[in-house]
Amino acid sequence: MTNMSVTINGKNYGPFEVRDELSMNDFVREYLRLTGTKFGCGLAQCLSCAVIVDDPDGTSHTSPTCVVPAASFAGKSIRTVEGHARNGQLSVLQEAFVEHFSFQCGYCTPGFLNEAQVLLERLTNAPVARAELDTTIRDALNGHLCRCTGYIKYHEAVRDVILADPNRYLS
Amino acid sequence: MTPAKRMALLAVLMIVLGLPLLTEVYSVELSTALATPQSFDGISDTAARSAALFTEAGKVLTSPRCVNCHPAGDRPLQGETHRLHQPPVARGPDGFGTASMRCASCHQSANYDAAGMPGHPHWHLAPREMAWQNKTLGEICAQIKDPARNGGRSLQQILTHIATDTLVGWAWAPGFGRQPAPGTQQQLGALIDAWIKTGAACPT
Repeated sequence: MTNMSVTINGKNYGPFEVRDELSMNDFVREYLRLTGTKFGCGLAQCLSCAVIVDDPDGTSHTSPTCVVPAASFAGKSIRTVEGHARNGQLSVLQEAFVEHFSFQCGYCTPGFLNEAQVLLERLTNAPVARAELDTTIRDALNGHLCRCTGYIKYHEAVRDVILADPNRYLS
Repeated sequence: MTPAKRMALLAVLMIVLGLPLLTEVYSVELSTALATPQSFDGISDTAARSAALFTEAGKVLTSPRCVNCHPAGDRPLQGETHRLHQPPVARGPDGFGTASMRCASCHQSANYDAAGMPGHPHWHLAPREMAWQNKTLGEICAQIKDPARNGGRSLQQILTHIATDTLVGWAWAPGFGRQPAPGTQQQLGALIDAWIKTGAACPT
């Protein structure tokens, strides 16, 4: 057993005593009832379960939750799909996903949304040339699987958000 | 018929029919042994003995536990059959994955058997120039001795790496469902030590 606390979307949870076998996905969904984080393949191959991890150095990255023990998140700060909208107002990315009809069933959307958010934050710190933008988006979203709309609409939505603020994201 | 008798009858039937028992299916196979350096003392020709020692060590070097992270391409391999890693990750500029798919995102500091996920604090791919996939033992041997392709290591540093690096050591404790590398890390170290002391000759 591990005694753990974790910060999710800016709110502290815990301490909880969790079994070492407990996955982060089960912890988030079953202990905390934050069911926006999905369980898909269970093998880190679809990444519908991905959350954002905020690193101490100010950077962020995504992590699958289905193949990672909850205990490994002890003391960490993460963000889930529930944390994007503020006061009922969708984030710019969420609005772009809606405008582009990026999803149908929506099961993969939390993972795409988190990955795209991390990409935006990375580009803010390390902008890329316009010519590299499509490759950069493709590489960032590469691991995520969608079985409804394909990937173009997600790609276009993210690209539009970036192109709408070129001084921030492009070199 | 009681459940216990029913299970006993089922077990007898499976044995008679030659079917594997569940306990056999799910048990972890024991790693095969490595010969000791002393068992090669009968080879009088020093170079031949050295090459034979490396060939024995090669049972480990060519095992899936080693080759899967010494791939020829940019993607790691998985399983006993060296299938391409899923999800489709790539080595990235530093061998620890790409910016959006770092190895450590899934591979934590220790194995997580509940999900079949191997782990180590320094989980990463060997550099491209250290690829062992699709190479003969002779080619791997020459590569290991070449500082341009072994990370600038001396033979003594190679021995230290192989005999003491804990990421190498993961190969003998790979977690549920994976066949450990043959022998032990200590036995492999003894073979490499003897190989170096006999001139570090390569098998042809």
